[in-house]
Amino acid sequence: MGALRLARLALLCAALGLLLPWHGLEDGFKELRAWPLGDAAPLPILLGTGIRWWLWLLPCLLLLGAGAALGKRANSVLLLLAGGGMIFWVFLMGEAIGLRGLEWQWLGPWLGDAPPQPSLGWGALFLLIGATGFLAAGFAAQGGFRGDAFIAFLVIGSGFLLLLFVFAPLTTILLAAVYEGKAFAPSALIARLSAPEAWSLACLSTHQGCGVVWNTLLLATLTAAISTAIGLFFALLAVRGGMRAGPLFRAMTLLPLITPPFVVAMALIVLFGRTGIVTTLLWEWFAIPRSRWIYGLPGVLLAQVLAQAPIAFLLLDGALRAISPSLEEASSTMGARRFTVFRTVTWPLLRPALAAAFLLGFVESLADFGNPLVLGGDFDVLSTRIFFAIAGARHDPGRAAALALLLLFLTFGAFALQALWLGKRRYTTVTGKGDSGLPAPLPKGLKFTAAAVVWPWIIFTAVVYGIILVGGFVHDIGRGDMSFTWRHLITAFEVEWQDGVALRGSAWDSLLTTLEVAAISAPLTAGLGILLAWLIARQEFRGRRLLEFMTMLSFAIPGTVVGVSYIMAFNVPPVELTGTALILILCFVFRNLPVGVRGGIAALAQIDRSLDEASATMGASAVQTLRRVVLPLMRPAIITALAFSFVHAMTAVSAVIFLVSARHNLATVYIVGRVEAGEMALAIAYSTALILIMLAVVLGIEKFVGRAEIARRAGGAPPPTATRAGA
Amino acid sequence: MKKGMIGAALGLAMTALLPMAAKAQGNLSVYCSVQEEWCRPMMAAFERATGVSVAMTRRSSGETLTQIRAESQNPRGDVWWGGTGDPHMQAAQENLTVEYRSPMLEQLQPWAVRQAEQTGFRTVGIYAGALGYSYNAPELQRRRIAAPRCWADLAKPEFRGEVQVADPNTSGTAYTMLATLVQIMGEDPAFQFLRALHRNVNQYTRSGAAPARAAATGETLVGITFLHDAVAQKVTGAPVELVGPCEGTGYEIGSMSIIRGARNMANARRFFDWALTAEAQALAADAKAYQLPSNRNAPIPPQAPRFENVPLIDYDFARWGSAEERTRLIERWQREVRAGAR
Amino acid sequence: MSANAIIFDQVTKNFGTVHAVDKVSLTFPRGALVTLLGPSGCGKTTTLRLIAGLELPNAGSIMIEGRDVTRLAAAERRIAMVFQSYALFPHMNVLENVAYGLVVQGARKASAEADAIAMLNTLGLEGLGQRLPSELSGGQQQRVAVARALVLRPQVLLFDEPLSNLDARLRRQVREDIRDLQKRLGLTVVYVTHDQQEALAVSDLVCVMRAGKIAQMGTPREVYDEPADAFIADFMGEANVLEGEVLGPGRILLAGVALETRLRPQPPGAALFAIRPEAVSLHGEGEGLPGQIKRAAFLGQTHEYEVATPAGQIFIVAPAGAPVFAPGDEVRCRVERAIALRQVGQ
Repeated sequence: MGALRLARLALLCAALGLLLPWHGLEDGFKELRAWPLGDAAPLPILLGTGIRWWLWLLPCLLLLGAGAALGKRANSVLLLLAGGGMIFWVFLMGEAIGLRGLEWQWLGPWLGDAPPQPSLGWGALFLLIGATGFLAAGFAAQGGFRGDAFIAFLVIGSGFLLLLFVFAPLTTILLAAVYEGKAFAPSALIARLSAPEAWSLACLSTHQGCGVVWNTLLLATLTAAISTAIGLFFALLAVRGGMRAGPLFRAMTLLPLITPPFVVAMALIVLFGRTGIVTTLLWEWFAIPRSRWIYGLPGVLLAQVLAQAPIAFLLLDGALRAISPSLEEASSTMGARRFTVFRTVTWPLLRPALAAAFLLGFVESLADFGNPLVLGGDFDVLSTRIFFAIAGARHDPGRAAALALLLLFLTFGAFALQALWLGKRRYTTVTGKGDSGLPAPLPKGLKFTAAAVVWPWIIFTAVVYGIILVGGFVHDIGRGDMSFTWRHLITAFEVEWQDGVALRGSAWDSLLTTLEVAAISAPLTAGLGILLAWLIARQEFRGRRLLEFMTMLSFAIPGTVVGVSYIMAFNVPPVELTGTALILILCFVFRNLPVGVRGGIAALAQIDRSLDEASATMGASAVQTLRRVVLPLMRPAIITALAFSFVHAMTAVSAVIFLVSARHNLATVYIVGRVEAGEMALAIAYSTALILIMLAVVLGIEKFVGRAEIARRAGGAPPPTATRAGA
Repeated sequence: MKKGMIGAALGLAMTALLPMAAKAQGNLSVYCSVQEEWCRPMMAAFERATGVSVAMTRRSSGETLTQIRAESQNPRGDVWWGGTGDPHMQAAQENLTVEYRSPMLEQLQPWAVRQAEQTGFRTVGIYAGALGYSYNAPELQRRRIAAPRCWADLAKPEFRGEVQVADPNTSGTAYTMLATLVQIMGEDPAFQFLRALHRNVNQYTRSGAAPARAAATGETLVGITFLHDAVAQKVTGAPVELVGPCEGTGYEIGSMSIIRGARNMANARRFFDWALTAEAQALAADAKAYQLPSNRNAPIPPQAPRFENVPLIDYDFARWGSAEERTRLIERWQREVRAGAR
Repeated sequence: MSANAIIFDQVTKNFGTVHAVDKVSLTFPRGALVTLLGPSGCGKTTTLRLIAGLELPNAGSIMIEGRDVTRLAAAERRIAMVFQSYALFPHMNVLENVAYGLVVQGARKASAEADAIAMLNTLGLEGLGQRLPSELSGGQQQRVAVARALVLRPQVLLFDEPLSNLDARLRRQVREDIRDLQKRLGLTVVYVTHDQQEALAVSDLVCVMRAGKIAQMGTPREVYDEPADAFIADFMGEANVLEGEVLGPGRILLAGVALETRLRPQPPGAALFAIRPEAVSLHGEGEGLPGQIKRAAFLGQTHEYEVATPAGQIFIVAPAGAPVFAPGDEVRCRVERAIALRQVGQ
């Protein structure tokens, strides 16, 4: 699309923005009835009545842009000025003048006494979209983006979205770390970062707790190591163990994907808590005293490993399969015995995958919030500490921000390590090039060890999930009362038939909201993610790497940090979103975006570039190529991204626990509340319902696509699609 | 891309609709800080009585105070109902709530009115409950431990790892205990006692009522809570015994406040008045809440612990409800007690 | 209107610090099949992509049929390209593939399909319209790719190593087909290959490239018989490169031995000679350069020999009927034809 055409479309959009209500509306329809006066006033009225006189610059810039758009040739300088200027001015004024009038006091002499300014609304949104269009047209007219203005618009638009919803909140929270109250105090930052609550090593010498950073590191390392080991044993048995256990193992890998955050922790309490089933049995049979060992590091570790081991298995399974058997055959024909073959050929080839599984487990543990919250006891980790710094009685955003910085630092460190170590090496995924060799059987000792780990683990997992299934249907599993009842399900999901359907159960509100939010955010996530993947992988423009970096940024930020930063950034104008469903949707979209992007990039890697080029040589524009050639071939990736995003949205808790409001509660947060109040049975019943819903969605999608490989957060194995081009 | 665009269109459309399905009588946003089983019927009853559509969030009183603070520039809640009085008083002190003299004030118990006066009518008492603890009787018997009667008993070695109480950072119940002990023993001896008690504590829970349930199930031997929380467990058949400690004990006055800048001020006042009526307060018993209601005409549930039967101290709400003392005590507790060895 | 379909003027394309195409100026006449030939990395594929518009030059200008296309993207040029992997869209059937270009450029579906069917028939692909690309043989796929390109009536048709995915037997057949088609339709074709036999067989003009520059451009005969330097001589077919001296018309000196041979007129003096393996005959005795057979191999149609001579090791290909020698035999090498590359010292 040419620059001129885009500029004209942008003009149309901006003109529409002048007609719509400029500011955000509280009550929707009620205020709209007063249009064009009152709260729903569009910009021209606001200017005419002199209320928002500082916004006069906007129509001036718009005229500039209009002049450029309606001319014969696109004047890039004017377009850039108009577009960039409008965006800059809207946000500058939005920051400078807020709900209580002038925020930036130093502007007082020039602006005088400004009346309070509420947040931006539909009118401002359309104007900003138009301004983005101008900006994109300007760049395209200058030759950037190969002259394709629509691509320019997509890139700049997504860049802005990322800036606004990933980068800006992050900056807000980082800034909060340097502020003490209202005063800028960098020394406070240093003090907070080096606080003993974070770094103390007291636990080594006394019974006091250690600094929270050490706790976090310890937990993460242990989780990563143990889950990788267990995953390795599973993989060894599945691929080389000569058993038909493959389908069973694969079924297990589904579980962590569809399990809401606290379920496993609750089941562990029911099993191993002070009055747990196993604890009671041990006491009655073996007189082993009951203790609270499950609360603290052991419990959290157990829960995290239960969740992480299947992911490690997926990674290592893929890697083991990719090791060409002929390598091992060569080794054994040269006289090496089974164990030597394993040690000298198989193990070194597995190292990259092992490192990847370890790092993934490490990062997941850092971000985990639900398990430490329920099972942590006195063992505090960074994510829970951040939460309490905000939600506890000693509300201290500065401290929370400093802790968030530390957590970010750890996460980024892990990613940097991964990029450094693994960046160049790709453990190859074989695409059906038949390597006809038989995989070497495992050395006996190893096989035995693996079986000794794997089968008990499977039984243990089955028991845990059995508790979950059963717990919702018995009276009080916490107290061992196992009489069957529908009571909990009724409390949660009661439906009354009385003048139509009335949903009386306490869980309906949150369930419906959750389903609604997940259903809305999933296509947005998948769509934006695939779009970004396509822009990053297939288009060339300056700033491509930057776009990619910003996309991946949200992947690395732990959930609690995101949640806190969103309330800090979006509670006040210019962009005011707290208390709405929109903030939940946005949070999900931008948090799960990397899933769609990684899946998209992996799928695109399977599609030969010559297909794009052939389409181009036949006269198709980039967008036509996307629509007709690339997207149809990416269907499995799109569907996988959809399933993924939906399920992630259903099970998210750490980010959204801050963002729920009276009107928009989420299932996971509701469940936390029940766990807090000790209502295990209700919580478990609700969780079971969630699991069943998600299982239905995931299985339904898997049937739809065929055999879609769903790897959580690993952006892992690309879907096997038949996309070998042409010959 | 198509999916994305349709999704986006859907998304935008829905967000336009999501904010309100405005009912004829308007809306109200309530922050509720008592247990869920009491919140729900209250809100439902108010909806039925007035036709106002209520959106309720349930959060502990400490967390609610935090949220009101965070939202102070742009409040989302209208009324804060329930939860122990100290956070309400603190909110009043920080000018986060507004003054309202309800016509119902004349029907209230003196302690409720006193609280309203102390805060310049920014908050009012809606219930009262005594502090204490409960223990799991069969377990105690099996272990052959003497039944505790006083605060001091809880620091004894036989209760090592057997006491549960909430965390004063998040729970008003626990803070009441702090302030109570300080008033009974004097500040430094109180902290000495708390350090001794800390060795016996197995977990500091987030919610104030959780220790009662833990004692009921046997998760812990002793749970320090308000007595009405323990009663709620006992009436379901849990084998717990209640103790009003011999040295004396404090009590809480649960409160209600209207948030400054409430968007539905008129409805907030309606709720305020309605919640103080005898009928509204009678809902407590059905909801298994056994506090003493503040309306003199409201029926008192038979199982509720009466103030006459418990050795109450003269709890100085004005002093110990102030922001400075509260912060100071909690910080001192965090420093000297929480971080200590077990 | 010049007779040139494509004009390159000082075109440069850099990838980082590498000059893939370095100040190249050349012209492609209309209706001719020009082959870009050279070793990997020489810049031939880059040049092809510059014509297609898949790369944009850093400097210089490109004209196609009189129109300056230097800054135009591929979609805006009237060219069509047949890719090495054919790049058939796997999710569309043959008919949809061939009709793609027309549909994308705005033709109505019905007329696009009619044109597509006509083109399929022209190329001998009747009845295959509903098949998927994966269901076709290699040769058929290639023809579909060509059909897809031709149906757009491009000004220039580009081929990127079209035979490399076919097995040897098919290659000859297909290359004949391409040449026939090109002559019949009078198309301007630019053809890239690394196989010099292929280049010699199909081209009107051969352009040998090396390190981003044009080493030599001419008819196949010119490039084969009159290579400009040793590199081209060796690339276009095996060549024995020997130092010697031009004594006079038809007389050269190699390692002190005077030899009668066919040679283009050269001034006498020191020279570098390229001698084709088939241009040397072996005899048991008589005139010629003395030598000893080091290695002999029987290849059915020919015999190959390596002979050690005072002028150096010579590689010789003898036809089936010639006398056969074994390793160790003493022979005489008669040079039938020699190519003088340059005077030593020039």
